[in-house]
Amino acid sequence: MPAVFDVSQSPFDRLEATEIEFLQDATDIEYYAPGATVLAAGQATEFLCIVLKGAVEERDGEELVSIFGPRDVFDSRSLVQGAATRSFVAREETLLYQIARDAVLKIVSKNDRFGAFFYLDISRKLSEMAHEEEEARFGSLMRSHVRDLFVHPAHFINSSDTIETAGHKMRDINSNALFVRDGERVGVITGMNLSKAVVLNRMSIDDPVRTVTHFDIVSLSPDDFVFSALLMMTKHNKRRVAVKDGDKFVGIVEDIDVLSFLAGNSQLVAGRIDRAAGIADLSAAANDIEAQVRRLRRQGVKADVIAEIVSDLNRRLFARTFEFTAHPDLRERSCLIVMGSEGRGEQTMRTDQDNGLILSEPVPEPMLNEFRESFTAALESFGFPPCPGNVMVRNPFWSRPLSEFVADFRSWVALPTPDAHMNVAIFYDADAVAGRSELLTEAKTALINTVRGERAYLAHFARAIDAFPTPIGFFRNLITSEGAGDALDLKKGGVFPIVHGVRSLALEHGLMETGTDQRILRLGETNVLKPEFARELSQAFRYFTSLRLDSQITQTPGASGTLTKPAELSSMDRELLRDAFGVVKQFRDIIRRHFNLAMF
Amino acid sequence: MIPRWAKRLFHQATIGDQSYRFMFEKGPPNEFVAVDCETTGLDVKKDEIITIAAVRIRGNRILTSERFVKLARPESDMAADAIKVHHLRQVDVESGQRLYNIWPEFLHFVGGRPLVGYFLEFDVAMIDRNVLRFIGIEMPNPLIEVSKLYYELKYGDAPPGTHCDLTFRAIMKDLGLPALAQHDAFNDALMTAMMFVALRDMKQRGARIERQRDRPRFDMAH
Repeated sequence: MPAVFDVSQSPFDRLEATEIEFLQDATDIEYYAPGATVLAAGQATEFLCIVLKGAVEERDGEELVSIFGPRDVFDSRSLVQGAATRSFVAREETLLYQIARDAVLKIVSKNDRFGAFFYLDISRKLSEMAHEEEEARFGSLMRSHVRDLFVHPAHFINSSDTIETAGHKMRDINSNALFVRDGERVGVITGMNLSKAVVLNRMSIDDPVRTVTHFDIVSLSPDDFVFSALLMMTKHNKRRVAVKDGDKFVGIVEDIDVLSFLAGNSQLVAGRIDRAAGIADLSAAANDIEAQVRRLRRQGVKADVIAEIVSDLNRRLFARTFEFTAHPDLRERSCLIVMGSEGRGEQTMRTDQDNGLILSEPVPEPMLNEFRESFTAALESFGFPPCPGNVMVRNPFWSRPLSEFVADFRSWVALPTPDAHMNVAIFYDADAVAGRSELLTEAKTALINTVRGERAYLAHFARAIDAFPTPIGFFRNLITSEGAGDALDLKKGGVFPIVHGVRSLALEHGLMETGTDQRILRLGETNVLKPEFARELSQAFRYFTSLRLDSQITQTPGASGTLTKPAELSSMDRELLRDAFGVVKQFRDIIRRHFNLAMF
Repeated sequence: MIPRWAKRLFHQATIGDQSYRFMFEKGPPNEFVAVDCETTGLDVKKDEIITIAAVRIRGNRILTSERFVKLARPESDMAADAIKVHHLRQVDVESGQRLYNIWPEFLHFVGGRPLVGYFLEFDVAMIDRNVLRFIGIEMPNPLIEVSKLYYELKYGDAPPGTHCDLTFRAIMKDLGLPALAQHDAFNDALMTAMMFVALRDMKQRGARIERQRDRPRFDMAH
């Protein structure tokens, strides 16, 4: 007797040989085209389905509830109850084993262990559903610790110090609360306490702070959860909570810190950059940026928003560094640019430097050289590694007068070598960070005019989208890259083809936007891409970015995060990933047709 | 070589057993039968069928619950080479039915439905030889070759000189189908049926199978 479905998988491994044979004789295989309905809500369920190949979505109205992949069994709930409450739709080309309901129910009633699987499965699903909702709503509060918050460092005064001393100290350390030592006791005094004492109680500013200090302080440990800080503040009606590590007071958390933590607090880092008095201050702020990324991501902030925040912070950082390292004469005659992904604003973690300088006219060589070295070195000291391709201001090729850049554009287009393509690509993605931004606008306009109407050149340029295959096969199974174990390369298979395809179209149409997302939006608005497809493409792009960011965060700092292991993803993520790769595949076909790449 | 349609007409006129007239009638709409034989060898004239498996397809549904699988007892002994391929030894086929007992049931199972297969010409030639001997006709059914469907979807627009790989393995791989143990007649028929429903759907939707191309170089460091 030939085996129809795999009987070694749960729950079929609990069956007797005769029972298996009985079920197999009641089994058919059905093929579903993408989008075909397997079970409609409200419809009587005639079959128990096992996914042989492909994937099936479970939908509650419009909302996607779960996804079933190969070997998954569904829908035990409606099989028992008779009718489906949700609809089940093939997500892609799908083959399903379908076992007739009567046959399954007969075995359920005969074989208790088999039956138990069904009832367990149903109750487990119900409780999972409830849990997921809770997790999504309170996730960041439940998982973050007090140590993740911004904690005002502890500063102490004595209870015999005067109100005036306390006031000055608060101003000096830029904080609104101080710890007060009074023998064995420790208390807290706030700016509001001081004002009230003087204004309302008419105390002298020479009086000791002892009488206006609160000694009933509430404290928690850095290991406590953020939500307990919030609970404590509410319960004790306090705006501040002391943080105590063991028996040592280490700082104070204010309610505003908890709130800004929940809402994201990148403005704090921005403030530090703006207030920096020199390179050393900037270095400290640069370190905050990376910590900020992790914090924002943990709070569930979307990757494209994080990229926007990070690129904004990085640019402020570069602009300030430019101020500190470039001679005023140089600053007046130049434009500092960032290129590649930094220019597109798609950098989430700190990566290689990709920057350059466009000069309006030649400047004295020693002044320029000094800047080249000190700027690149400063960034390196902040933790931005030098660019392996040497695309940095240190390289005279990337820091020279506008006229020289423009002269080179013509040779890049006339002799389309891989290096020339790369130069065009990274320069077209450039964005001005400091100095005279009109220099970059002028350079880019020249670049766009150089390639305008050059169909053959543009086709050559676009052709790089075929540099790496889309890791997806028929029945949309994910193909993991060779030599990388079971890992998938998100950058090669997903991010790069989108970025480059979009860049090719944008260059052809002379768009001045730099971000891939903005470019897609414009291409959709101008009908170069169908608006609906533009939306899908943009979603796919954001999805890759967020997956990459997640794997960057979980990997050791500095890792590229381009590899992801499908086996480690949730089945939902795995399916979304396939979807995204599907869009990439479609997009590549569009680009191939558009630039007539079949001629290669 | 006499064309199949001519033979069909001839056999329709000369069929000995009138009870098999139904073979010349059109099968139920949108139904097909995927078929596969395991044989003692590859010589259509001399070798014999050991197992024959068929599975009906109704629309997109592969009716595995109504499969036809028969082990036959060949008239001659099993060749060692064939045993290596399908792992059926002489003792295994001893219990099989005599071939002439199989055909009435097989023909009723198939009826006028089109036959679907991989390298179907061989299977049909094997079946024809037997059916001709017992009932006096050859299979009049329309034939659908899955490798041809596959070729159209993958190489239909290929430039001349493109290397075509039409092996069973290649098709399975491109379609991402789960490989069941091969050289089991039922498994082969079932895999062929899966290929058929998938390829037919792709054709209807105008989808194509991507060919491997030479890939240009691009430095992605930025």
